Amino acid sequence: MTATLPSRRTEPAAEDRAQGKRRANRAWFLVLPVVVSVAFTAVIPLMTVVNYSVQDIFSPDDRLFVGLEWFRSVARDPEVRAAFVRTLLFSAQVLLLEIPLGVAVAVVMPRRGLGVPAALVLVALPLLIPWNVVGTIWQIFARPDIGLGGWAVNNVLGLDYNYTLDAGDAWITVLVMDVWHWTPLVALLAYAGLRSIPDPYFQAAQIDGASAWATFRHIQLPRLRGVLTIAILLRFMDSFMIYTEPFVVTGGGPGNATSFLSVLLSKIAVGQFDLGPAGAFSLLYFLAVQIVCYVFFTVLTRTGR
Amino acid sequence: MRRLPWARTVFWLYGITLMLPLLWMFGMSIRPNQDILGSFRLIPERVTFDNYVTFFTDPVWYSSYLNSIVYTSMNAVMSLVIALPAAYAFSRFRFAGDKHLFFWLLTNRMAPPAVFLLPFFQIYQAVGLFDTHLGVAIAHMLFNVPLAVWILEGFMSGIPREIDETAAIDGYSLPRFFVRIFLPMIRSAIGVTLFFCFMFSWVELLIARTITSVNAKPIAATMTRTVSAAGVDWGLLAAAGVLTIVPGAIVIWFVRNYIAKGFSLGRV
Amino acid sequence: MPDWMVWTGPTAAVFVGLGLLLCGMAIWARISPPVSRRGFLRIETDRGDRLYIGLISAAAVLAGWIAVTDLSMWLALAVAFLVVLAIGMWG
Repeated sequence: MTATLPSRRTEPAAEDRAQGKRRANRAWFLVLPVVVSVAFTAVIPLMTVVNYSVQDIFSPDDRLFVGLEWFRSVARDPEVRAAFVRTLLFSAQVLLLEIPLGVAVAVVMPRRGLGVPAALVLVALPLLIPWNVVGTIWQIFARPDIGLGGWAVNNVLGLDYNYTLDAGDAWITVLVMDVWHWTPLVALLAYAGLRSIPDPYFQAAQIDGASAWATFRHIQLPRLRGVLTIAILLRFMDSFMIYTEPFVVTGGGPGNATSFLSVLLSKIAVGQFDLGPAGAFSLLYFLAVQIVCYVFFTVLTRTGR
Repeated sequence: MRRLPWARTVFWLYGITLMLPLLWMFGMSIRPNQDILGSFRLIPERVTFDNYVTFFTDPVWYSSYLNSIVYTSMNAVMSLVIALPAAYAFSRFRFAGDKHLFFWLLTNRMAPPAVFLLPFFQIYQAVGLFDTHLGVAIAHMLFNVPLAVWILEGFMSGIPREIDETAAIDGYSLPRFFVRIFLPMIRSAIGVTLFFCFMFSWVELLIARTITSVNAKPIAATMTRTVSAAGVDWGLLAAAGVLTIVPGAIVIWFVRNYIAKGFSLGRV
Repeated sequence: MPDWMVWTGPTAAVFVGLGLLLCGMAIWARISPPVSRRGFLRIETDRGDRLYIGLISAAAVLAGWIAVTDLSMWLALAVAFLVVLAIGMWG
C-alpha cells in the first residue's frame, strides 16, 4: 500500500526512481476493466440516487422536481436524528469494549508451539460466519426460553432478561453480539502487531527486571499504535454501517430501540419504496461515511503503517 | 519472552466462551423441535439428524444454498480476473490520477450497501439481471473488486521489480510474462484473494436479498423468512446456520496466516 | 439515457460540471504537474487532494446548513464556495 501512497512526497521523478516505478500512462488500460465494473456497480447507481433525491417520483414519466425538500425533511426528521445518535453511541460503545478486550486477548494468545495455529483458527472463526448467521446464533443463544445465554441470565444470575420485549436488553444483546463477533478482528490485528516486536526488546526488559505490566505498557503498547489505529477505524466504519445482525436478531425493535441508520434506511428504501427521501437519506449517510473514510485514509497513509 | 503464568488458561477460557454460542446452535440443530421448545436442557435428550435431512430434501433450502454457492463463486472469479491487471498496474506503474483512483475504489468499499439498494433494484430489473446469479455476482463486485485490488496490490508490491525487468530482457512480452512467470509467483495471494471475495460475498445479505426473488434467492434470505404459521422452526434454522459456516470453516485453515492482513486490507 | 435514471436538468448540470472539473484538472496536470505542499490543514496535499477536501467540506456545509437553518440555500452555496476556495488556496 505504501508503494502507491507515499507518505512523504518529494519531486515526482525522484520519487518514481526511489520506488522503482515507471511512469506509464498506458497502465490505464490495465485498470480499465476495474474502472468500467465499478462505474457500473457504483457510479451509475450513485448518480441515480442523486436524481431520486431531488424529485417526488410516482413513475418514471410522472415526477416532480422538488429541489432540496427531501434533504430538509430527512435532515430534520427526529427519527433519522435519533438513529444517527443511536448509531454513534453504538459505535462508541463498540470501540470502548472491543479495543481493550482485543488487545488483552492478543497478549494472552500463545506465541509458539502447536497452540498457535489452533488459536488463530479458533479466534478467526467468528469472523468467517455469515453475518445473518451471527444474528441467528444470537437469536437462539439469547432466547430466555431456549437459549443457553438467555436462560443463564434469567435462572443463574436471576435477572429478568428478554431481548424481544425490553429495549435495554435488546441493545445489550446487539452490543454483546458485536463484541463476540468482532473482538477477534482486533485481537488478530493486535496479535500480528505484537509478533512484529523483535525479541531483544523483551530480553532487555527481562534483564531490567521489568514487571509484566511495565513490559506491556512501555514496550508492547507503543508498538501497537499503528495496528490499533487501523483497528479503531475499521471497527468504527463497520459498526457505523451495521445492518444484518440487528436486523436478524431484533428487526430494529422493540419499538425502534435498535434501529440503526442502515436499518432505518433500508426500511424507508425497500419497505416503503420512498425513492426521494431514501435518496436524500442515502446521500447524507454517504457523505458522513465519506468524511470518516477520508480521515481514515489520511491517517493510515500519512502516519505510515 | 516472559509470559504471564496464567496467560494460557485465560486464553483458552476466552476461546471456550467464544465457541459457546456456536456449540449451542449446533446442539439445537440435532434435536427435534418438540425438545427445543418443550423444556430447557443442556445436553440434547434425543439426537436426530432430521433437521439436516429436511434441509437437503426441501428444494427451498438446498436450492438457495446452491444459489449462494453459485453466485459467490462467480463473483470471486470475476473479481479476481478484473482485479489482477489493475493490481499489477498499481504496483508497477505511476500514471495520471493513480493515487486518486485508488482512493476512489476505497470509498466504494466503505459505502454502506443500503445506499445502493434502490438503484440496484431498478437497474437490475431494467437490464434483465434481476433475480439471476450473474446479477448478484455483478452487484457484489461493488465491494469485492476494490478488495481484490488491494489484497493483490499488497502482495505484488512485495515481489521485486527486477524480475519483470529480467523477463523483459529475456524477450518475454508483458502478457506472457504475467501468465507464465508472475501468476505462479503470487499463487498464495490469489488463494487469499479468492477466499476473501468468496467470504464477503457469502456473508452479504442486504443487496443479495433485494435484487433476487426466487431463482437466485440466497440462503441468507431463506433463513430470515423461516417464520411460518407454526412459529419459527428453530431446529431447521440452526441446521441451516451450521451448514453455512461449513465452507468458511474448511478454508480457514489454509488462510490462517493471512487472516489479519486480509481483514485489515479488506475493510479498508 | 435509460429513463429509470430519472434525470433532471439541475442534477445533469451538476454532473456535467463535475466531469468538466475533472477534465480541467487532468489538463492542468499535463500543463504543470501538481506540487505537494503543506497548508493550514497540516498535511501534505497537492491540488487534487485539496479539491477533494474542499468539495467534501462544501457538501458538509450544505448538509449542516439545511439541517439547522431556514436561511436561503444560496447563502449556503456562497459559504460553501468560499470554503472550496479557501481550502484550494491555503489548505
